[in-house]
Amino acid sequence: MKQKILLALSICLIATSCKKEFLSKTPISSLSATDFYQTQSDFDQAVVGAYVPLRPLYGVGLADYGAWSMGEMRSDNTCFIYNYANRGYSDRESVETFLDDANGGAVANKYDNDYIIIGRANQILSQIDKSALTDAAKANDKGQALFLRAFAYFDLVQYFGDVPLVLIPPTTYDETQVGRTAVADVYKQIIADATAAATLLPPPASQAKGHVANGAAYTLLGNVYLVQKQWANAESALKNVTGYSLLSDYAAVFDPANKNNAESIFEVQYWDDPAAGQASNFAYNFLPILPDPGVIPGFPSSSSNTYAGWNTPTPDLIASYEAGDKRLAASIGFYTGGVYVNTPYIKKYVHGAKIAPNTNDDFPIYRYAEVLLMLAEALNEEGKSGEALSYLNQVHANPRTGLTAIGTGDQTALRAAILHERQIELAFENKRWLDLVRTGNAITVMTAQGTKIKANPLAYYYPVSVTPVPASYNISATKLLFPLPQREIQINPKLKQNPGY
Amino acid sequence: MEKKFYAVILVNIFFILLLTQFNNAVAQTTKITGLVRDEKNQVLPGVGVTIKGTSSGISTGSDGKFIISAPATGILVFSFVGYTSLEVPVNGKSTMVVNLSPSTKSLNEVIVLAYGSQSKRTITGAVQTVSGAELQDEPAAQLTQKLQGKLAGVQITQTTGTPGAGMAVRIRGAASISAGNSPLYVVDGFPITGDISNINPDEIQDISVLKDASSTSLYGSRAANGVVIITTKRGKSGQTQVNMNAYYGVQQVPQKGRPDMMDAQEFAEFKKEVAVDNGQAVDPMFQNPSQYGKGTDWYNAVLRTAPIENYTLSINSNKEKLSTAVILGYFNQDGVLRNSNYKRYSVRANTDYKINDYVKVGINVAPTFTTNNTPQSDGIWYNTGGIIQGAILTSPLAPYKNTDGSIPINSSGYGTLDAPNWYNELYTQTNNTKTNRILGNGYVEVDPFPGFYIKSSINVDYGQALYNQFIPSTSGNFFNPGNLTDASRIHATVSNNLNYSWLWENIAGYKKSFGKHNFDALIGYTSQYYRTETTTTNASNFPDNLVQTINAASTFTATQNVEEYTLLSTVGRLNYNYDNKYILSAAIRRDGSSRFGADNRYGNFPSVSAGWVASEEGFLKPIKTISNLKFRASYGTIGNNNIGNYTQYATVVGTNYPFNNSLANGRSIAGLNNTQLGWETSREADFGFDLSVLDNRISFSYDYYNKITDNLLYSVDIPISSGFYNYTTNVGKLKFYGHEFNLTTRNLTGSLKWSTNFNVSINRNKVLALGTANASIFGDLTITQVGKPIGQLYGYVFDGVYKNQADFDASPKYAGAQVGMGKFKDINGDGVITFDDRDKTVLGDPTPKFIYGMTNNFAYKNFDLAVTLAGQYGNKLANRIEPFTENLDGAFNVTKDVAKRWRSPSDPGDGRYGKDISGTTSYERDNASSRLVYGASFLTIKNVTLGYTLPFKGNNYIKSVRLYASGQQLFVFTKYPGSNPEASGDAYGSMASPLNLGSDYSNYPVPRTFTFGANVNF
Repeated sequence: MKQKILLALSICLIATSCKKEFLSKTPISSLSATDFYQTQSDFDQAVVGAYVPLRPLYGVGLADYGAWSMGEMRSDNTCFIYNYANRGYSDRESVETFLDDANGGAVANKYDNDYIIIGRANQILSQIDKSALTDAAKANDKGQALFLRAFAYFDLVQYFGDVPLVLIPPTTYDETQVGRTAVADVYKQIIADATAAATLLPPPASQAKGHVANGAAYTLLGNVYLVQKQWANAESALKNVTGYSLLSDYAAVFDPANKNNAESIFEVQYWDDPAAGQASNFAYNFLPILPDPGVIPGFPSSSSNTYAGWNTPTPDLIASYEAGDKRLAASIGFYTGGVYVNTPYIKKYVHGAKIAPNTNDDFPIYRYAEVLLMLAEALNEEGKSGEALSYLNQVHANPRTGLTAIGTGDQTALRAAILHERQIELAFENKRWLDLVRTGNAITVMTAQGTKIKANPLAYYYPVSVTPVPASYNISATKLLFPLPQREIQINPKLKQNPGY
Repeated sequence: MEKKFYAVILVNIFFILLLTQFNNAVAQTTKITGLVRDEKNQVLPGVGVTIKGTSSGISTGSDGKFIISAPATGILVFSFVGYTSLEVPVNGKSTMVVNLSPSTKSLNEVIVLAYGSQSKRTITGAVQTVSGAELQDEPAAQLTQKLQGKLAGVQITQTTGTPGAGMAVRIRGAASISAGNSPLYVVDGFPITGDISNINPDEIQDISVLKDASSTSLYGSRAANGVVIITTKRGKSGQTQVNMNAYYGVQQVPQKGRPDMMDAQEFAEFKKEVAVDNGQAVDPMFQNPSQYGKGTDWYNAVLRTAPIENYTLSINSNKEKLSTAVILGYFNQDGVLRNSNYKRYSVRANTDYKINDYVKVGINVAPTFTTNNTPQSDGIWYNTGGIIQGAILTSPLAPYKNTDGSIPINSSGYGTLDAPNWYNELYTQTNNTKTNRILGNGYVEVDPFPGFYIKSSINVDYGQALYNQFIPSTSGNFFNPGNLTDASRIHATVSNNLNYSWLWENIAGYKKSFGKHNFDALIGYTSQYYRTETTTTNASNFPDNLVQTINAASTFTATQNVEEYTLLSTVGRLNYNYDNKYILSAAIRRDGSSRFGADNRYGNFPSVSAGWVASEEGFLKPIKTISNLKFRASYGTIGNNNIGNYTQYATVVGTNYPFNNSLANGRSIAGLNNTQLGWETSREADFGFDLSVLDNRISFSYDYYNKITDNLLYSVDIPISSGFYNYTTNVGKLKFYGHEFNLTTRNLTGSLKWSTNFNVSINRNKVLALGTANASIFGDLTITQVGKPIGQLYGYVFDGVYKNQADFDASPKYAGAQVGMGKFKDINGDGVITFDDRDKTVLGDPTPKFIYGMTNNFAYKNFDLAVTLAGQYGNKLANRIEPFTENLDGAFNVTKDVAKRWRSPSDPGDGRYGKDISGTTSYERDNASSRLVYGASFLTIKNVTLGYTLPFKGNNYIKSVRLYASGQQLFVFTKYPGSNPEASGDAYGSMASPLNLGSDYSNYPVPRTFTFGANVNF
C-alpha cells in the first residue's frame, strides 16, 4: 500500500503542469532588461544612468585618470610634482612627458567611459520612439540622450581621431566587432545629434538642475563648429545659447555652494553626502604631496596624500596672468612648508571637505564665459573683430577680473588675445591641450615647454639631481592624437592603432 | 617482482607445513576464543565469524572478541564489510588473533557509485576509492587536504594556508574556463550545493571518486568536473562501540621558502646607495648603516607557532532493528598568521530502522558550526588585504613592538612608503565568519520482493553564514597608514547569508539473474531547489574604535541579493553482465534547469560502457599469476551547469547620479541577454584496464581519457564601443586528454607488512576554438589562444641589463632606454622593443606535465607507519611580489640580491637588476617578464604517521589504545623560491580563475604540522 502511495505521488509530480513553473526562475533582486524601457520612469532613470560615466570620465578616486590628465596636464598649463618616494604612478607622468603608450590608464579611462555613455544613450534612443511617453517627456529624455552621445563622440574624436561609430546597440558578438569611422563622418553624426538635441531640449529655466538644457546643446554644437572652423555656423549656434549669465565673483562660480549656477551650462555632478558615495576627490589629487593635507585651509587633518602632486600649475602659466588679474588668486594657491617653497596648486576646486579626501566640488564642462569666448573667436575669424572684441571684453574686462578692457587689435592679435583669455579664464577646465591642437600651436608650444623643463627641472617641481629622461617631450605630429587602449587593439582585429604608437 | 613471488611461495609453504603439523590432531570440536582486529590493530566489532561449509556463525562483540565452537579441522571464515574476508584453519587452536585488512584491493568489494553501489568486479567506469580510515591520522582541517597524493588524475592543490580554505580540486584537468572547476560532491546520495570544507573528515566511511563520463553521467549537467561520492559512517552490526580519536600538535612555517629580504643594516646601506646614486642628500637615518643589526624580520613578526587540535567521539550502536552512529567532533586550529583561527563543532547522527522485512527507514542529521577568523592576508599589497605582502615590503628598521612593549600604529618613517604596523593590523581588525550548516536526509526504502526496491528520500542542506568585519582607524595600507584620531577611516561590514536546498528523490531498482545473465536496472525522478539570500550592511561614520558593532555607526548602505535555481531530472541505468565476464552498462539523465535559457531548457546526458573480464576466460584462467585482468571502455556526455543563476537574462542595475546635491535614481542595462544560453557539454571517452597478479599482490590500473568540452561558457571580452566590456555566451571548445597510472603492491606480507600505492597522471588540455573569431583571451599575465593550452603565462622576455654603451648600441631598445636599465628580447625582430603584444610571448604553462603521489604503509607487530608523498612536475609559476621586492626606487624593502644591481659599466652586478636612478626603474618593474617566472615542480612529504598500539589486553572500560605521531607537510622539495609551489590566486586574495592560474601573490604560508594523537576504543 505504502509503495503505491509513493508511486502515485511521484507520477503526479512528473505529470503536473507545475513543472514549467518550477523551472522558470527570473531574477529576484535585479530587474530583467525585458521588463525595462517601458514607462516614463524607466526612461528617466535610463537617462540618469547615461550621465553616470561622466564622473569617472572627469575623475573619481585617488590618483585617478580624470579628463584633466589628457586635457590639461598634457598642455603647458600644468605639470606634476615628481614623486621621488613613490614611483608607482609613472604612467600618469608619461601623459605629461609624451612618453605615453597604449597601456596607459588615461586613454582607457577616456575611451571606455565615453563609450559607456554612448552605449547607454544608444539603448535609450533605440527604444524611446516606440514608447508611449508624452511628447514633452519623450523630447526631454531623447534630447538628453542625443546630447550625451554627441558629447561623448566629440570627446573621442578630438583625442583619438577615427573611432568606431556605433549608434544601434549590438545584439550579437559579431555586431560588437566594429572598425574605425573617419573623423569627418563622426563629426556629421555629432552635428546631427547635437542639432536634434538643441531642438528637443527645453530652455534652462524649465530644465531640472544639473540636466542639460537646450543651451548646453547649442554650446556643444558651437564648440563642434569652432573645431571644424565653420565660423558662421559656430556663431549662429552660440548665439542661441540664452538664459545664462556670468557671476559677479569668479571664485563663486566653482564654489559647491553655487552648484549649477547661472553661469554653469554643463557640469559633472558630485556630492559629498557620506551615504551617497558620490563625492569628488580631484582637489586632493591636485595638491602637493603632503604629510597631512590638513595644512591646506578648509581641509581636515588626515593621512598623507602620497597619491597627489598632479596637475600642478606651471611657472609659465602663473607668469602669464596679467598683473592685477583677480582670477590668479581664485585659481591658484601657493603652499610653503616642509620641502615646499611657494609651490602652486589648483585652488579653484579647494572648498574644504567634511571627511578627507571627499569633497563636494563639481567639475565644470561648459560655462557661459566659454560661450562668450567661443563667440569672440568665431566672430574674429569671420572678420567681425569689433563684435568679437565686445564678447572678449565681457569676460576679460568683467569687474570680477579686475582688468581693463582690451583695445582694438588686428585679427591676429585678437586671435592671440582670445586664446590667452581662454588659457586664463578656463584654466584647469581641461580646455588647454585641445586649444593648442586645434589652433595648430601644440607642437611648437609643447616642444618649447619641454626644452624649458629639461633645462631647469627644479623649476618644474623635480627634486635636486632628478631630470626627465632624454626621450621625453619628443613631440611629433603623431602625438597630437592619443593611442587607442591596448585592450581594444587586442580583442578587435578591425581596429588599427594610431600611427606612432 | 620475482622476489615477491618467491616470498609468497615461501609463506605458502610455511602455512602448509603448519597445517600438516596440526592435522594430526583429532577431528573433534574445539572451543575457540579469539580477537579480530584491523590492520592498525584496532578491535573490530561485528565481524561475522562462520565455519566454512556450514551456516553456523556468530559476530564479534564490541570488544572485537568472539567465542565459537568449531571442528578442530575446520576453517573459520571472517567477513566484514569493507574488509577482505579471511579464512583461517582452526588446526586445534583454542585462541586466535586475526587481523583483517581493508578491502580496497578486493574484487568483491562493493563500491558506492552514483545512485547505488556495485561490485568492483563489474565496474566499467574509471572510479577510485579511498577509505576514511586511511585518512584519519592526518592533521588537516579539510578532507581534500588529506586526499593529496592519493588519487590518480586528481590534482589537489593547497593554494593558501588560510585555515579552512584554499583547496583547489581538479579531476582530470580544468573542464571549464569560467563555469567552475570543482567536482560535484555527493554526501550520502545528496549532491550538496556548497563545498565540503566544513564537513568533519572523521565522519567519513569512504570516498569514491568518479572520473569518467559513464560513472558520472547520472549526475548529468553537474558532472563535467567529476563527482566525489562521500559515504558517512553508519551503525555497524554488532554491539555498542565507542571510539575516540584525538590529536594535538603545533604548526610552524618552515624556514625554506621565506622571502630573503634585506636586514636593517643591508637596507640602510641600500637606501644610502640609492640616495647617493641619485644625487640626493642621504637621510641621517641611513648615514651609518653599520649601527643597525638585523632589525625587524617582518615576515616573522606576523607569523607564530600555533596549536592545532582535533577530538572526535564516535558511538555506534546496533540493537536489533535500530542501528545508529553518532559522531561528535571538535576541531580547533590557530593559524600560523597571528590572530587567525578556525574552529569546527560538528555532530552527525545516522540512524537506520528496519520496520519489518520489507520496509526500512532512516534519518541522517549533521549540523556543523564553524567560526573562522581570517585576517585579510592574501593578495597584492595595494588591494584591500595583502597583509603578508605588506609585511614583507616594510622597512626592517621599523619596529613592530616598541622597546617599552607598546605597539606602534604605523611603520612609516623608516625608509619605506608610509604603511601601518602589520602586526597591529592583524590584532585590531576583525574579519570573522560564523557558519551554521545542517545536512539532513530521511528515506523510506521498500523491498517488496527479492531484487526489487523503491526508495524515496528528502534531503536538505541548510546553511547560514554571518560575516563581521571591523576596520579600525589604525588600519591601513601602503600610502594610507593608520591614523588613530581620524574616525572617518573606521568602517564595518555585516553580511548575513542564508541558503538552503532541498532534494526530493524517488528511485526504483530491480536486480535479476537469468542463469548467467545478470541484470540491474534503475529509474529515478528527482527535483531540487536552491535559494540563497544575502543581506550586507556597510557602516561608516563611527565616533571611535571603541564600540565595534555597527550600531555605533551613523552612515549605512545596505544591499540584498536573493537568488534561486531549480533542477528537475529523470535518471535511468541498466547494467548487464554475462557470467561476470562481459559487462555492458548504459545510463542517462535528463536535466531541466531554471539556469538554462528559456529556449534551451532541457538537456540529455547519456553514457554507455563495456567491460571484459579477460581473466575469467578459459585461456587465461590456468595462468595462476594473473588474478584479475579487466578491460574497460566508456563514452558519454556530461555537462557543467555552473553558469550562474540568471546569466541568460540581461539585467538592469542601479546607476545613480547626484543632480544638484540630491541622489537621482538611475538604471542602466548591465549586459546583453542570451535566451539560448545552455550548459557546457563534455563528451568523454575512457579506455582502461585493471591487472592484478600474484594473488593480488600487485595491482595495476591504467586509464586513457579524451574529453571535448563544447559550448564553453565564457564572458567574451568585447570592444567597449558596444557599451559593454563582455558578453556571456556558449562559445569555445576545449580538449582534455590524459593518462592515469595506478600501481598498488603488497611488498611484504609477513610480520613486517609493507604496501605501496603509486599513481601518476598526465593531464593535458588544448583550446580548439574561442569565440566566433578565435580571438585570444588575455588574462592577468596569461594568454589563452587556439591550438595551445589554457592560460599560458605571457609577457616579455627579460634579457639582462644594458651592461655598457657597447651592449646598449648592439641591442634593441625601447623609448626611454639607457645604459644600465633592464633589457628585453625583441620578439618580433623589428629592432625596437615595444611594450605591447608585439614583443610579448609565452613564458610557460602553469599546468604541470604530470602529477604523482605515493603512499607507503608499513606494519610491524604493534607499530604502523604511513608515508604519503605528493608531487607535480613541469609547471611554471610567477612570483608576483618580485616587482616590489626587487623594486629599485627605495620605496620598499628588497631581497638581499638587489645589492648586486647595476651600478656602473665597471660594476654591472649580476645582470638581473638595472640601475636605481629615479625615472629609469619603471620599465623593468612594470613590464612583467620572464624574470619572475619560475619552474614550480615539487615533491612534498605530505604526511608521515607512526602509530603504536599498546600491548594491552583491554578491560571493561578501555578495549584498545593506539598512540600515534604525525607530521604534515613535512618537507617540500622544490626550486621555486616562494613559500608555496602550490600557491595560486588573484591579486585580491581569491582563488584564481582557470584562465589566470600560475600567479603566486604570497598567500598565507602552508605550515609544517607535528601532532600526537590517540585512538581509543571503549
